[in-house]
Amino acid sequence: MASSREKMVYVSTAEERIIHWMLAGSCLFALITGLGLMFHSWEIIPTMLGGYYATKWMHIFSGVVFAISLVAASIIWWEHCKFVPDDLKWVSQAGGYLWEAHDLPPCGMYNAGQKLFFWCVFAFGIIVVLSGIVMFNPLPFNVTLARWAYMLHVMGVLVIASFFVIHLYLGTVGNPGTVQIMFHGWATREYCEFHKGKWLADRESKGDASE
Amino acid sequence: MAEYIKLIDLTKCTGCRGCQVACKQWNELPAEKTGFTGSLQNPMDLSYSTWCLIRYDEFDEADGMKWIMRHDACMHCDWPACVKACPSPGALVKTDSGAVVHDPNYCIGCKACIVACPFDIPRYSEHEEKIAKCTLCYNRITDGKSPACVTACPTGTLEFGPKEDMLAKAHARAEAVGGSVYPNNPKYETHVIYVVPGDVKLAALQHVNPNPKMPTTILWWKNLFKPFTLIGMGGVAGMAALHYFIKGPHRVEKKEEGGEADG
Repeated sequence: MASSREKMVYVSTAEERIIHWMLAGSCLFALITGLGLMFHSWEIIPTMLGGYYATKWMHIFSGVVFAISLVAASIIWWEHCKFVPDDLKWVSQAGGYLWEAHDLPPCGMYNAGQKLFFWCVFAFGIIVVLSGIVMFNPLPFNVTLARWAYMLHVMGVLVIASFFVIHLYLGTVGNPGTVQIMFHGWATREYCEFHKGKWLADRESKGDASE
Repeated sequence: MAEYIKLIDLTKCTGCRGCQVACKQWNELPAEKTGFTGSLQNPMDLSYSTWCLIRYDEFDEADGMKWIMRHDACMHCDWPACVKACPSPGALVKTDSGAVVHDPNYCIGCKACIVACPFDIPRYSEHEEKIAKCTLCYNRITDGKSPACVTACPTGTLEFGPKEDMLAKAHARAEAVGGSVYPNNPKYETHVIYVVPGDVKLAALQHVNPNPKMPTTILWWKNLFKPFTLIGMGGVAGMAALHYFIKGPHRVEKKEEGGEADG
């Protein structure tokens, strides 16, 4: 779509991209090891990782990295992901993804769907981390609370993992020109006008030059 | 292999601890250092190296204090919550005999079984990073012998035999002494059953779950949310693929061809 001679805009800082990949990598690794521990028929996963005992510890450590990245992610994206009145318009037309939308308001850094994904990962991420802490050593806790933790852990994973698949699709083949932002940080000006119109206008009115 | 039941007739127990000692001896479990705490209870609780224990419950009655001695060990559930919760195949196994057996070679020390157990039986060792519990002496019963505790019991409190025989015996004995059979939940059968004297309130006994069943949260965890992680991810992936093939990727609108769909 974009020719290399087009004007490019620096959308994502290195710091953002590092935190994104820490969060994504730890989440994905925890998901894979967790599924390997949960589904006995997927014995291939613990076998490749060196057995169930090793997989347990890898799951715990990736959970620690996930928790740290989640804190960092919430610090850098909190402001960008606050909902604004225009988001309701975006949601009511499904962002133009499912049918023709004609008067979509220009989005800020993120559209309402992306914001929803952030809050979803944030809220259910906290549930998964806290229940994970209980599961790491359930013995000091009340047994009913500990049983709830096991259930909530998997419920949180169900929500995050399902939403993650949408995120994966829309961030890659579903929206050409997007995935590169998470690698080198740059997007075409045309892309930014289309997806982040308000953000681009704000930025240029402040005199931030794009290359 | 036939299904077996260990029958514990509490009307006959004298609290001699013969079963406790026999269990240690057969399973080669080390003794623990204990102290005097003012009751007969000793050791105070089950542990990684104490798989069966007499619980001494004291009651104040009109004619003075009364004891109920109760042999406490794994109940060997027919539908074991511990096995359902266990992430490591082979670490906890329900055998054809009805015995639920743990295998330390496969245990990864995650403690999920401890949380899941409706009877609070498995015990964890920080040092070994594993759990341990009564195995109904699986290595004896497969050889046609009774569990060590049953063999040692001098009063006939403990009996071991085919499931139907033991159930019939338990109910006949409960009727004869005016007591009850525990657990008595047809939806959650166990391979260890008690005959409880009529004047004993189960709820008043320490470490007794009056209504044992598969914990609902464990059931929802394993039977609802677990399959739905795959159904959810798979369903969403399918919808994404359909979107790609029907609507196509969401391309950036080109200014010069303003009519192009934003689909």
